Amino acid sequence: MKIAVLLSAGRHPVSGRPAPVPVELQAIRLAVEIGRQFGGDVTGLHAGPELGPLTDALGHGLARLVHLHNEGESDPAPSLAAALAEGAYDLILAGRAGQGGEDSGLLPYTLARTLGLPIIADAAALALGEAPGTLGVEQALARGARRRLLVRLPALVTVHPAAPAPLPFAFAAARRGSSEARPGRHAPAPSPTVEERPYRPRPKLIAKAAAGSTALERLRAATEAASGGGRLLVDPAPEEAAREILAHLRALGLVTAR
Amino acid sequence: MTELAFLLSLTILAMLLLAGALAARRARLWRVGRAAKIDWAAGLLALPRRYLVDVHHIVGRDPYAARMHALAAGGLLGASALALLGVIPLLGGSRLFWWLTALAFAFAFAGGAMVGRRRLPVKPARLSGGRFQLLPFLLAAYTGGGFLVALDTALGGALYPLGWLGLACAVLGGLGLACQIERGPMRHAFAGAAHLVAHPRPGRFGGERATGLAPLDLDAPRLGAATIEDFAFNRLIGFDACIQCGRCEVACPAFAAGQPLNPKRLIQDLAASLQPGATNAAYAGSPYPNARPVAGIGGPGLPIVGAGAMIHPDTLWSCTTCRACVEECPMMIEHVDAILDLRRFQTLELGAVPARAAAPLMELRYADEPGGRALTSRTDFAAGLTLPLISAKGEAQVLLWLGEGAYDLRYGRTLRALITLLQKAKVDFAVLGEEERDCGDLARRLGDEATFQRLARANIETLSRYRFSRILTADPHALHALRNEYRDFGGAYEVVHHTAFLDELAAAGRLDLGALDAPRITYHDPCYLGRYNGEVDAPRRLLDRLGIERREMERSGKRSMCCGGGGGAPVSDIEGERRIPDIRMAQASATGAGIVAVACPQCSAMLEGVTGERPAVHDIAELVLMAVEKAGTTPARPAEALV
Repeated sequence: MKIAVLLSAGRHPVSGRPAPVPVELQAIRLAVEIGRQFGGDVTGLHAGPELGPLTDALGHGLARLVHLHNEGESDPAPSLAAALAEGAYDLILAGRAGQGGEDSGLLPYTLARTLGLPIIADAAALALGEAPGTLGVEQALARGARRRLLVRLPALVTVHPAAPAPLPFAFAAARRGSSEARPGRHAPAPSPTVEERPYRPRPKLIAKAAAGSTALERLRAATEAASGGGRLLVDPAPEEAAREILAHLRALGLVTAR
Repeated sequence: MTELAFLLSLTILAMLLLAGALAARRARLWRVGRAAKIDWAAGLLALPRRYLVDVHHIVGRDPYAARMHALAAGGLLGASALALLGVIPLLGGSRLFWWLTALAFAFAFAGGAMVGRRRLPVKPARLSGGRFQLLPFLLAAYTGGGFLVALDTALGGALYPLGWLGLACAVLGGLGLACQIERGPMRHAFAGAAHLVAHPRPGRFGGERATGLAPLDLDAPRLGAATIEDFAFNRLIGFDACIQCGRCEVACPAFAAGQPLNPKRLIQDLAASLQPGATNAAYAGSPYPNARPVAGIGGPGLPIVGAGAMIHPDTLWSCTTCRACVEECPMMIEHVDAILDLRRFQTLELGAVPARAAAPLMELRYADEPGGRALTSRTDFAAGLTLPLISAKGEAQVLLWLGEGAYDLRYGRTLRALITLLQKAKVDFAVLGEEERDCGDLARRLGDEATFQRLARANIETLSRYRFSRILTADPHALHALRNEYRDFGGAYEVVHHTAFLDELAAAGRLDLGALDAPRITYHDPCYLGRYNGEVDAPRRLLDRLGIERREMERSGKRSMCCGGGGGAPVSDIEGERRIPDIRMAQASATGAGIVAVACPQCSAMLEGVTGERPAVHDIAELVLMAVEKAGTTPARPAEALV
């Protein structure tokens, strides 16, 4: 089984320095662990002008790193698509979004369309499928919910930050690992057709309770509108609270009814 | 000379040969270690002084043990040497000589009796059993028997049947003692002497603190220690020098908190790993508290750390690197260096850091700050104060190193107090601001030498751009790194801790101190200031200027107990039964003090985290500021009167 992990040129969100994207390091961990079960090998792929600190991915469990060399501002998708098609990978993992670039999260979809592969978003865990050539994907949904999917390989899967933390960095492994540089396909960077303007935090829309209502009613109106569902209990008895929580978890399918 | 005396001399000769052969066999095992640069001549010349002064200074903290050891070791060596010399006819023929020999044996017997009294009928928990419990009997047999033979000879054979009994005892006891040289308690005698000669930190005997970690060559084929061969051979001698007295385990904060670390056991596991086909079965001291199960097998070429080896990783990560064990060890063993070597392999080669320690190390790699916070926000605590930037001034008398504590809301108050004091004393100071990176202490103690070296080089590069005469810091961990550990990378600075600096200012009369009418106070020594750098007097002098009654805790000064905040222990967070700061706070409460004075951001955070009724925690800078603010309302005392 051949697994590819796509690595993007990220930046640390605070320092702004080049850094690997954490969710891609999490993807490496999922790949390494599934590769260990299937007996597969894992390759990291990056298309861009330079690797920079992406070589650190070698310290997080990645065995091989391929650098598709592109000059300057270039669209990485054609280079990656060509390398992925050539490599005939069974499983392609990517982060759900980059960090420090456009971070649109659209590249995996572009690649999936180009390669004609199914794409599963937001994997939190991967497991062996029962039938050969299948993969179980645990998909992270909103509010902690999970959905199990079974996908026939080859497929492209994006990884969610809820996946297990990256393998800790091992300096010596990064030092030992090597990266292979290949020429990428030059493609002009897509011209930004989007309008750019400074970020402005939007006020939250809060449902207004009728004027003159009690504080409790105003609180209920505000929180129920914001949370979109569920029930608000104010100062309930512990037993009642526990019952409600269990009922809610059951409704979500997280606790089996007994 | 009687027949008996001659046989006794032969026995001693046999003992010597047996002990020599066994010692040589053990010493051959040391050769698997890495080479180390050792000044043998200087070491040998210094041996008597190192033994009689440095070792006995530590042994003497327990006067009973010191007397016991002087009698047992001195008597044993003296009596054996005399009895051996008895084969020389001129000496052996003299009755006086044999009286002297009998006296030496009597001293040794008294020492052996003291060994017995310490261990029998109830063995204290810190002492090891097994072969060690046999020691008083062997000593009694050999020295008692030798005494009878010598007495018999001195009396010209008058004790004839007793003399033979004595010889039988001496043979049994003597050969028994010689057999203990390879793995039993007598090993400390020859390995200890060798360790004193080839000590990895000879500076410790020359009055230096010699506590900085040795830098690791990051281009070496293997980083850190995985197997016993990865230690330098003089470190292996150090492991063998252990006499299992258990002073380290009594001092160890992790041991006291029920975390799975016992420095004595750790050293024994390392010493055992030297033997091919080693197991940890022979150890008979107290175990690692709440020990995680390990296979307990090892030997040269086999891994030391792991569930299938000798030492569980949790044991390594329990250490706060407080050096209390090193400070207490009469054999001058360097436990912390061994732990750091093992940690370096785990971190750098395996990436096997504790789960919660991985994140701060990653942030350090890409943001130079373990919390991943912006370097520009390091000075946020000083909002409202004027904080001069050295990049604007170019030079300053004093460069204030803020450290990690600056991000902590509680410790920000301390730093504000310090800055206010500096301004009141009109000190020409400046900070690096956003150019200050983490000093790398956390990374280094967690074994991430690569990150430490990168940070050290980057900081040295930054510091080289500015002119200042001293670095002032309130963080003893940063102080230790900047003062002692940056030297290896080309950064030599005069670094002063804020307690010493404020004491200087007060002595020079630049701070007007009023008397605080605070309750009694006790001072908690930070490990990295007291034990690592030997600074225990300045903080106390400064506190005494404030006019508060100061009491000492049961452990203080260089023998102080750790707060639990060093060595990355708070991020490793190995589970135990109690929390180290709770234990320390209980010691502080026991003094009846209303305030615990601290001088370190880690101590401040750890001790402030103690819940329940407890003394208040204040950094010395805060107390000094209180006194300075008091000075306006109460008549100031002249500084000289307090010195």
